[in-house]
Amino acid sequence: MSVPDYMQCAEDHQTVLVVVQPVGMVPEDHFFRIYKRIISVNQVSIRDSQRLLYIRYRHHYPPENNDWGDFQTHRKVVGLIAVTTCSSAKEWPQTFDRFHGQREVFGATLYDSRLLVFGLQGEIAEQSRTDVAFYPSFDRCEDVEKRVEDFVESIFIVLESKRLDRATDKSGDKIPLLCVPFEKKDFVGLDTDSRHYKKRCQGRMRKHVGDLCLQAGMLQDALVHYHMAVELLRSVNDFLWLGAALEGLCSASVIYHYPGGTAGKSSGRKPSISQAADAGKRHRPGAQEVLIDPGALTTNGISADTSSEIGRTKNCLSPEDIIEKYKEAISYYGKYKNAGVIELEACVKAVRVLAIQKRAMEASEFLQNAVYINLGQLSEEEKIQRYSILSELYELIGFHRKSAFFKRVAAMQCVAPTISEPGWRACYKLLLETLPGYSLSLDPKDFCKGTHRGWAAVQMRLLHELVYASRRMGNPGLSVRHLSFLLQTMLDFLSDQEKKEVTQSLENYTSKCPGGMEIITLPDGLKLPPVPFTKLPIVKDCCFIKVLWLFDILFLTRSNLLYPRIDLDLPAFLYYTKLDTWLYYLTMYFQWVQGDVCEVQLMVYNPMPFELRVENMGLLTSGVEFESLPAALSLPAESGLYPVTLVGVPRTAGSITVNGYHTSVFGVTSDCLLDNLPGLKTSGCAVEVVPALPRLQLSTSLPRSAHSLMPPSGEELSNSVSVQLFNGETQQLFITLENIGTELLETLEVTYKMVNTKEKIFGEFLSWDLQGPLSQLPLKPSQTVTIAVDIRVKLDFSGQENLLQDLNDDGISITGLPISSPLRQVLKPRAENKPISAEANKTEYNHIKTLEAILHFKYSGGLGQMQGYYRELLLGVHVDVEPSVFFTRVSALPATSTRQCHLLLDVFNSTEHELTVSARNNQDVVLHASECQRWAAPCHVSCVTCTVTSEST
Amino acid sequence: MMTMLGGEPFLLVSKQEQQNYPLYIRSVPSDSELKFHYTVHTSLDVVEEKVSAVGKVIVDQRELYLGLLYPTEDYKVYGYVTNSKVKFVIVVDSSNTSLRDNEIRSMFRKLHNSFTDVMCNPFYNPGDPIQSKVFDSMVSSMMVQTC
Repeated sequence: MSVPDYMQCAEDHQTVLVVVQPVGMVPEDHFFRIYKRIISVNQVSIRDSQRLLYIRYRHHYPPENNDWGDFQTHRKVVGLIAVTTCSSAKEWPQTFDRFHGQREVFGATLYDSRLLVFGLQGEIAEQSRTDVAFYPSFDRCEDVEKRVEDFVESIFIVLESKRLDRATDKSGDKIPLLCVPFEKKDFVGLDTDSRHYKKRCQGRMRKHVGDLCLQAGMLQDALVHYHMAVELLRSVNDFLWLGAALEGLCSASVIYHYPGGTAGKSSGRKPSISQAADAGKRHRPGAQEVLIDPGALTTNGISADTSSEIGRTKNCLSPEDIIEKYKEAISYYGKYKNAGVIELEACVKAVRVLAIQKRAMEASEFLQNAVYINLGQLSEEEKIQRYSILSELYELIGFHRKSAFFKRVAAMQCVAPTISEPGWRACYKLLLETLPGYSLSLDPKDFCKGTHRGWAAVQMRLLHELVYASRRMGNPGLSVRHLSFLLQTMLDFLSDQEKKEVTQSLENYTSKCPGGMEIITLPDGLKLPPVPFTKLPIVKDCCFIKVLWLFDILFLTRSNLLYPRIDLDLPAFLYYTKLDTWLYYLTMYFQWVQGDVCEVQLMVYNPMPFELRVENMGLLTSGVEFESLPAALSLPAESGLYPVTLVGVPRTAGSITVNGYHTSVFGVTSDCLLDNLPGLKTSGCAVEVVPALPRLQLSTSLPRSAHSLMPPSGEELSNSVSVQLFNGETQQLFITLENIGTELLETLEVTYKMVNTKEKIFGEFLSWDLQGPLSQLPLKPSQTVTIAVDIRVKLDFSGQENLLQDLNDDGISITGLPISSPLRQVLKPRAENKPISAEANKTEYNHIKTLEAILHFKYSGGLGQMQGYYRELLLGVHVDVEPSVFFTRVSALPATSTRQCHLLLDVFNSTEHELTVSARNNQDVVLHASECQRWAAPCHVSCVTCTVTSEST
Repeated sequence: MMTMLGGEPFLLVSKQEQQNYPLYIRSVPSDSELKFHYTVHTSLDVVEEKVSAVGKVIVDQRELYLGLLYPTEDYKVYGYVTNSKVKFVIVVDSSNTSLRDNEIRSMFRKLHNSFTDVMCNPFYNPGDPIQSKVFDSMVSSMMVQTC
C-alpha cells in the first residue's frame, strides 16, 4: 500500500467503502452528476436495528490498498456501483461483461454490487433485476438515491452476518490468521499449533471483529473487542496489529466523544442528534454482556439495564487517553517500514482530533513526525499532495506560518526541475494561498499606513516567486502587477542593487505589457487591486502646493462679494506648509477660469538611487470637465524636494475637485489619490471654476520699465512702463489691448491710482479718452483696441533752497501777489552779490522727481460677465520728472501807469537743451542750455500768468 | 567562528506586537540567511502557541524561556519571550552537543540584558531595527563562544 489517503479521519473507521466507477464510455460531467447524487446517501438508517450505517464513496481506489482490508476493514471495498451508458440492446451483453470485469478487480472483498445503466430502453430494460437498474437518460433517474439505499441495506445484511459469524467464533474453532500483504511470507512454516500463534490469531480476529462492529454501528461492542484485542496482541508482541487495535480504540472513542466528526466541514457528515445521546442506549446490551463475559456476545437483546453506563464510560477512552493511545499506535506502526502509509494516516487522524481538542502544540508534534515518515519513492504529484495536506493541517491547528511554509514548498514542487511539464499555474495558485501566512495581502492600501506588517525578507521572496511564476504562466500583466506591488510596498527594504534589478525587470515586463490601474481578476475570482506608485516619486506629506495665476489673470471677484474681497490682502501666490490650510485658502480665495491654464504644484522627491523618469504626470480631478496637460520630468538620484507643476485646463464651469495625480513610471501608469498618500488627511480639494472670461494682453508704446513697481496691496503687475519727462511736458502713451482669449470683450473700465506720492501734482497726471476704444467693443478674439493715455507732469520744483532769490532791490514788496507756479514767496534774506553761476547751480537744480501710478483695466465679457466676474489688468507707470525752467529772481518795476508794472523775471534753463519761453503777449525768449536771462513783461497788477513751454531742440 | 565547525548558531530578536517583524537578525555564516528567515518565521507559530498557553495560567513569575521550539533534521530552534512580547529565537546546529539547555538559557539571558540596554537608549525608537554596535558585538562574542 503506497497511496495514503490524506483526507482520512478517525470516524472513517466506521464507514463502509463503496467504489463508484464509470464503465465504458460515460461522459465525465454526467458521471459526476450521478456520483454527487449517490454520495448524498452517506448514512443510512437500517430499518429494524435502529442503527446507522455510514458509507464512504470513492470513484477511484487503488486495488493494492484493498489488500489491507483485513487489517482495517474500512479500507476494504465492500460495494461497487458501476455507472454505464448503453444505447441499444445489442450493446447490452458487452456492457454487462465490462461490469463483470470491473467487479473482478475488487472481487474478493465485495459484498454486493450494482450497475446503473443509462440510455437503454426496451425489452431488456423492462426486466426487473436487483443488481441492475435501468434509466432512460441521465435526466430521468429519480430513484437513484432509493436504489442506493437499498444497495446499502443489502451491504449491511452481509456485514451483519459476517460480524455475527466472526463474533460467535469460539476459541475451540480454528481461527484463521489474518495478515497484511507484506506479512504473508513471514508466516510460512510457522508452528500453527503454538500457544503464541493461537493468541496472535485470536487477537487479530478480535480486532477484526471490533472493526466490523464499529462499521455495523455497534460502538460499545467495538470498544470491548478492541480492548480485548489490545490485551491479546500485547501479550504476543504483535506490534503492527496492536497498533491497529489501539487505533481502532481511538477511533471508536473519537466517534463517541465528537459526534460532529473531526474532518471539519468538508466531510459533509450530518451530525445526528440521536447519535451521541442514543449511542449508549443503543449499544447497551452488547457492552453490558461484554463486561460480564467478553467472549459471549449477543447482538439483539434489548435490555434496559442502567448498570451498563459504568461499562460504557470505562471502555471508552478519555480525550487525553485517545492521544496517548494514538501516540502508542503510531510508535508501533513506526516499527514497520511497509506500514508507512498507515502511520502517516494515523498521524493525520490524530492531528484532526487534536485540532478539535485545540491542542495545537501536540498536534504539531504529530505533524512533525508525519513530515519524516518515509513512504519510499513518491511521485512528484504525491509530494505536492503531501505538502499541501501538511499545510492544510497546520492551518487547521492555527499554525499559519508553518502552513504557508509547506504550501510554498508544495508550490515549488509543482515546478521542480525533475518535472517535465512544470505546473506554473498550480504553483502560482498555491503561492497565492500562502499570502495570509506571511501577513501579505495584495492590496497596497494595507501597507500605506503605519509600520510595515510582517516579515519583509520572506515576503519579498514570495513576491519574487509570484512574479516569476506568473511570467512562466505567460501572464505578463500579473507579473507587472506583482512587481509593482513589490516595488511599492517593499521599497524601504530593498537594497540599492535590488532596486535597480527590480526596476529593470519591471521595465522589461512593461515593454511587453504596460501596467495600468485596472483590477486584475484571476480565474478563481481573486481580485488584484491596482498598485499606484505613490512612492515613485514620493510626494512629501507636508507638501508645498502653489497656485499660480498664469498670464495676466490677476484677480477674480464676484461683484456681490460672496467671498472676502481678495484683491485687498491676498499675496500673488501662496506657500502654506499644511495642505489643509492651503485648501482653505484655495476654496476661499481662488477660482479657476474655464478655458484658462491652471496649476498645482507638488513637492516631490526621488527615493531611488538612480535617475527617475516620470512621464505623463498630470492632475486627477473630478467635477467639471478638465483637460489635464501632463508633464514629463526626470528626477536626479535621491533628489531633495523638487517642485513639480501640474497644469490643466478646466473646460466647463462649476466646482472641480483635485483628487490626486497620475504618473507613468517604468511603464506602469498609476493614479495616486491624495487620500492614499501617507500623512495627508484630505481626500482632495475643491476649487470653483468660473465661466470663461476674455483675456487681454497688454502692450505699450513705451519701453518696459526696469523698475519693479510694488503695488501697496500686493497685487501683481502684468506690465510696467517707464518714461522720463521734463516738468510740464506731456507724453502720449499708447496702450494696445489684444483679446487673446476666446470670449468677446464686452466691458472695459480704466482707472488709475497714484502710488507713494507726496508731490503735489497740478492737473491730471494721466488722462485718456475712452470714447473711441469703447465704440470698438465688443472686441472679438485676436482683435486689438488702442487707448491713448496722456501723461502730463506738472510739478512744483521751487521748493529747493536758494533757488529763488528776491529781486526786490528797491523795496517794493510783491508779497501777497498771487503768483502762479513756479513762483513762490521766499522770505529769506537774499545773499548779496551772489553771482549767478550756471555751473554751480546746475547740480543743485537737477533734482529728478518720480511719479508712479497704476492703471487698472477692469474688463469682462462672455458668460463670466453675466455672473458678475471680471478680470483686472494692471499697468504700472513710472515717470521720472526732470525740472525744465526756473524763475530764479522776480521783481517788479513801476510802469508809466500806476495800474501797470513791469515784471522782471530771471529765467534759468536747467536743461541741456535750447528752449523757448513764450508768454501770452508772444514775446518769445530763446534760452540756451543752462542759460539765464532776464525777461521783462508789462502787465496788469491784478493778474500775471506765465506759461512755459519747453521744447527740446 | 569562521567556518562550520559543527555549530552555526543563528540569532534573532524579533519584535512582535501584532505584526511580527524582525528587529535584529544575525547568522554565521551569512550565506544561507534566507533559509533561516523561513525557519525562524515558521517557529513563530510555536512561540505564539506557547505564549498563549502560558497566558491561560496566571503565573506571577512567568518563565520567559520557552525551551526547544521544535527540532528539525539539521537545527534546533529555541525560543524566549520577554514580558513585553519581544521574541528571541536561537537556532543552532543539531550536531552541536556542547550547547545544552542551560547554555542556551544563559545565552538568552545575556541577550535579554543587552536588549534591555538597547531599549534604555533614549535615541532608540522602540520597534525600529536594532543597529546598536554594543548589541552587535555582544552577539558576535556569543556566537564565537559557541563554536
